[in-house]
Amino acid sequence: MDHQYESLLAIGVLIPLIGFVILALFGHRFGKPYASYVAFAAIVISCILATWVLVGWHGTGDAARDELTKNAYRYHWGSMGDISIDVGVKLDSLTVIMFFMVTFVSSCIFFFSIGYMEGHSDEIDGQSKYHRFFCYFSLFAFSMLGLVVSSSLLFLFIFWELVGLCSYLLIGFYFDKKFASDAAIKAFVTNRVGDFGFIIGLAMVVLYLGTFDLDEAARNFSTDFYAGTGIFASSINLFGWQVSGMTLATLMGIGLFCGAMGKSAQFPLHVWLPDAMAGPTPVSALIHAATMVAAGVYLVARVFRLLTPDAQFFVAVIGCITLTITALIAIVQTDIKKVLAYSTLSQLGYMIFGLGVGAWVAALFHLMTHAFFKAMLFLCSGQVIEGCHHEQHITKMGGLRKKMPFTCWTFFVGVLAIAGFGIPWTHAGLGGFFSKDEILAVAYERTYNWHDTDAPSESHSATSEPPSVKAVSAPHQTHPPSETPEQHAGSIQPVRHAGSTAFTEGGSDDGIHGGTDDAHGGDHHATGTPKKTGIAATLPALPKWMFYLPIIIAYVTPFYMMRCWWLTFCGKPRDKHVYDHAHENWKMFVPLVVLAVGTVFCSYYVFRPLIHHAASGEMGATHTPAIVAFDGTAKTIADAGDKMMMTLTHDEGKDPHHALIGLVGFAWIIGIGIAWLIYRNGLAVGKRITQIWPISWCHRALVQKLYFDHVYDNVLVGGTIVLGAVAYLFDKIVVDGLVNLTAAFGRVIGIFTGRQLDMPVERYDIGLVDAIANGIARVAMGIGTVARRPQSGRIRTYVLIATGSVAVVLAAALIAGAAD
Amino acid sequence: MESSILSWLIFLPVIGIVFVLAAPGRYARSITWLFTFAVFLLSCTLFDPFLRSWAFDGPYGTNMHFEQIVEWINVGGFHINWHVGIDGISFPLIILTTLITWLSAWASWGFDKWKINRSPKGYFALFLLLETGVLGTFAALDFFLFYIFWEVMLLPMYFLIGVWGGPRKEYAAIKFFLYTLAGSVLMLIALLAMYFASADVTGTGTFSLIEYATHPEIAKEFNNPARLFLGWPFAKVMFVMLFIGFMIKVPIFPFHTWLPDAHVEAPTPISMILAGILLKLGAYGFLRVCYPIFPSAAVWAAYFLAVLGLVNIIYGALCCLAQSDFKRLVAYSSISHMGYVLLGIAVMTTVGFQGAMFQILAHGISSPMCFFLVGVIYDRAHHRDINRFGGLWLSMPRYGSLATLGFFASLGLPGLCGFIGEIWVLLGTFSAPWPWAKPVAVIAAFGVVLTAGYILWMIQRVYLGKLRKEYASYPDATARETAILIPMAALAIFMGILPSYTFDLMNGTLADVLDVLQPAITAAQDVVIAMGG
Repeated sequence: MDHQYESLLAIGVLIPLIGFVILALFGHRFGKPYASYVAFAAIVISCILATWVLVGWHGTGDAARDELTKNAYRYHWGSMGDISIDVGVKLDSLTVIMFFMVTFVSSCIFFFSIGYMEGHSDEIDGQSKYHRFFCYFSLFAFSMLGLVVSSSLLFLFIFWELVGLCSYLLIGFYFDKKFASDAAIKAFVTNRVGDFGFIIGLAMVVLYLGTFDLDEAARNFSTDFYAGTGIFASSINLFGWQVSGMTLATLMGIGLFCGAMGKSAQFPLHVWLPDAMAGPTPVSALIHAATMVAAGVYLVARVFRLLTPDAQFFVAVIGCITLTITALIAIVQTDIKKVLAYSTLSQLGYMIFGLGVGAWVAALFHLMTHAFFKAMLFLCSGQVIEGCHHEQHITKMGGLRKKMPFTCWTFFVGVLAIAGFGIPWTHAGLGGFFSKDEILAVAYERTYNWHDTDAPSESHSATSEPPSVKAVSAPHQTHPPSETPEQHAGSIQPVRHAGSTAFTEGGSDDGIHGGTDDAHGGDHHATGTPKKTGIAATLPALPKWMFYLPIIIAYVTPFYMMRCWWLTFCGKPRDKHVYDHAHENWKMFVPLVVLAVGTVFCSYYVFRPLIHHAASGEMGATHTPAIVAFDGTAKTIADAGDKMMMTLTHDEGKDPHHALIGLVGFAWIIGIGIAWLIYRNGLAVGKRITQIWPISWCHRALVQKLYFDHVYDNVLVGGTIVLGAVAYLFDKIVVDGLVNLTAAFGRVIGIFTGRQLDMPVERYDIGLVDAIANGIARVAMGIGTVARRPQSGRIRTYVLIATGSVAVVLAAALIAGAAD
Repeated sequence: MESSILSWLIFLPVIGIVFVLAAPGRYARSITWLFTFAVFLLSCTLFDPFLRSWAFDGPYGTNMHFEQIVEWINVGGFHINWHVGIDGISFPLIILTTLITWLSAWASWGFDKWKINRSPKGYFALFLLLETGVLGTFAALDFFLFYIFWEVMLLPMYFLIGVWGGPRKEYAAIKFFLYTLAGSVLMLIALLAMYFASADVTGTGTFSLIEYATHPEIAKEFNNPARLFLGWPFAKVMFVMLFIGFMIKVPIFPFHTWLPDAHVEAPTPISMILAGILLKLGAYGFLRVCYPIFPSAAVWAAYFLAVLGLVNIIYGALCCLAQSDFKRLVAYSSISHMGYVLLGIAVMTTVGFQGAMFQILAHGISSPMCFFLVGVIYDRAHHRDINRFGGLWLSMPRYGSLATLGFFASLGLPGLCGFIGEIWVLLGTFSAPWPWAKPVAVIAAFGVVLTAGYILWMIQRVYLGKLRKEYASYPDATARETAILIPMAALAIFMGILPSYTFDLMNGTLADVLDVLQPAITAAQDVVIAMGG
């Protein structure tokens, strides 16, 4: 029983692989629709296993979970030099829930696909490729699940690339269309740019931490960190330049993050995701919304313990830029899938931003909730597109509510979820509300209360509430844990007690924030002002723009989602043909309803506690130098000891969530309201607004996607191709030219020695030797010249020269040798 | 352990030649197929010692298997032995050779339908002779013997390209021949100089490659900075001459331009052998001759060689982007991929060596596969212009899937063989103790982006897109073509998923070679440290 869970997960990974192999070899014999049943059966079995594990894991105590995590089996796959590469299931709460999420969402989408492919063409240029679609889907499920369970960074990378391959194959599923295969290439190559950074990061992990294993790497990392040695030396020699103020560890973290930037489509590598919508809609739902693009976030969460605060800050900046620009672009999109694609980018930006500011739990929670509602939204859009005869432009839709009510209202649930629907001062709200709110709460604390350890000041709080404060402790070798008494104050608490019991009584409030059971509230806050030690003290607070941009975008998100929903489903039909054709297919709305129910209920109560447990397990096991924030308290963190950790308090008056209510609590209704005001009578008002001067200018830039594609296509891609052409010309003209020149030179010498010196071929050749010989012969013997011609081959002359030169060099060598 | 099995292996193709010449021409291909297959089976019997734990006990040179020494020529003080034997460097290459040669023989099955199909007897006889030359080179432990086989291999290739090649076959063949001959000349000079240098130490000279590296007196004298050759340090001159000789074969920039021409003109099976095996001879030469015998020079040259490897990777990949000839593209991608081999060897770390050797084998599987894939369409379309293809996956689904697999293996997709070699080399380079290693690794890693770019672009233009009318009637890969592709595809997957089985065959010997190099590396490190670097 010891290895029960990991075995189940491993089997769950392999079953889709079996499905893939069957479909790859015999798929064309199954035909439509039987091929899909194979893939669906495989993923459903995996999902059942995942559910089994999830339920079992839920029922396992924390101590038993840690024990299982520690004892997970590892298979020795190979060695790289002296470093052993072991593969196994990284069995912990995060794996379990991610695994469940992936299999569950996949099952829904596979089921949806069966219906979708009924009405959609599975033909490529007249040939049915039905089985291939499900074949790739199975391969994707295998790769994605493998990525989730990998305990080794190398295997994570291997599966990482495999999901990229599946993405490539599925985006280019209709490969007879040029734009589809273009988009596929763009996706793969952009990802490879990210992987370039990933490889560097991986190399640094291997070199400096000496292992591929995630846990071991984190342990070694923290050891180095506390010793202040190795990659934490304060200045580095980067390619010969001394770079100060940046450690190798930071570079390593940024390198690893580059991989995530590719896969999760973060600025500046975000350009591939909107194009990836060229794939069939279920593909967009599964790969480009729910699972694969979240893999980047998952990676950052996994390597979180290898990030330094500087690297973390970099992550946050990238996330912040991404969530802002993509949300703005989403406002002007008219293709329903493109709107969703840009909103996906923006939400991924939120997750990355969350990880960057330290909201590990919240970011992963957002990943889970987002997977549900975004998969649902994409499936809805698939339903719409399918129903509307492959029309994707919302400008041509309208009034579809009556024709497709289920789709309409499930879509609306998704809109509310992504908008962050929640009723302030209560616990009522959708998953997206809690997760986004928590990310913003951490950002708030990081912005306003990071250094504010002494006197709480009211001035900066956006609401009139006193800011909840405080301290962050940081690790430093001069302050070994045992020397420092526990000090905790306010909402950001230092957790720097080895063996302290400060948190043990923190209660088990790893659930909802804002609760009243804030057991640690008063007890610890008053114990004095903690010293801001070590790195944390040197870190600046989060710049204000990094807090306010996500806040502003929290207003933009409901706006563009509402715009999309309203233009699609409400108002008057704008295109009669589309409207007449619209219909629903039950095979397609069943998964919608399942996902909608998941969005509403499941996510918070099932995932949140487990992610919280994952966080305490992951961060508790190692002394990570990264900044981690917890909401409420976490009882197991008490064992964690010395690290940069902050805890959001729920103290009355200090709760950052309360501060946020004033800032974004009503964002969803405001955003939705504005969208409704503008679009309730169709497109006219919106159009007029975009003609006002500065807005028209912004509008044009946004429609052009801020010119990223232009720059990349012309400068980077074009530049590379030109460089390739230059290299080839150089090869042809210079390198090969030199070769031919040498050959010509040899030939001239050959002709000269052969014809002028040795033997005439043409009339005007001299043929010196021959002439002399002939002369001598003529003179001495009086015999006429025998007409001879040299063999036509040039080879002979070359060989002669070559051998002759050997002889000369040899002679020289021998003479030199003799001289020694 | 005295064994004549290697001699049988080397000369079995020669026996085949007798049959090919004696039998009527129409049987030539069957005889060749049978003999190459027999050679392959025979080579598989060599697996035994390499699967055992004691296979690599003892330092470099003491763990040769199937060794055979027979005095061959003893004239005027020259002692030349028939000395063959294999260890972890040569054994995987011998298996690769016999396998790829057999598959290429099979790929020559359609010989009668070629444009130039005169004299099947001549073609297949030369084909078998080529195998003898290659196997002999891999097995030879006597430098003179090595040189002879090296030359034996050269001639059949010249004729195979020059007689049965494409429109510019003469140009390509002569270019190939002269280039390789130039390398041979340098090797010959080094050969003799090394013989006399060894004679200075031991009295009677030796040609043994193993003794050069392991005999303490000889090794010391060879690497003695005071020993001069034409006024320069002996070790450096020898190293450079041998290196140039081998790098032409690999080929390394700037001596690479014979390769695209030779590939474009050569018939498909010959391209398979050329890319799959002949290029590996150069890399094998580094590992067998240059490095263990002249460690001091290897350390001295490490930086330049790594940069050359880097140039190969990036420059080769850039040139690929500009190609419209399918075969030329695959040829340039070979140049790019062989850059990883040189880079891995040049940094002289365990991981780098392992990666380089793995890359040799991985490329030995994936590049013949790619060339054969090109050949399959060339047989049908009679042109290789990438821009004129399109939608071939639709008319030839089985072939298209195998092609995708083959090209993704070449791209270095994880789970397939190319990835392991690349990542090992990159990590080995990054962790190398040289001050220049990290920047080189970083730039080399950028090669993965370019590789993805040119391979995917090519796949798009050839296999994806709308099916063009002129290709719609093409039959899918035949049973024979599939049968040739399957072993390579299977090996590509096997080596990608479970690389440790391949690594186990060679790691022991690579470690031995590194042990030979270690004192020189350590000395160089001390200098670096002393200089404050």
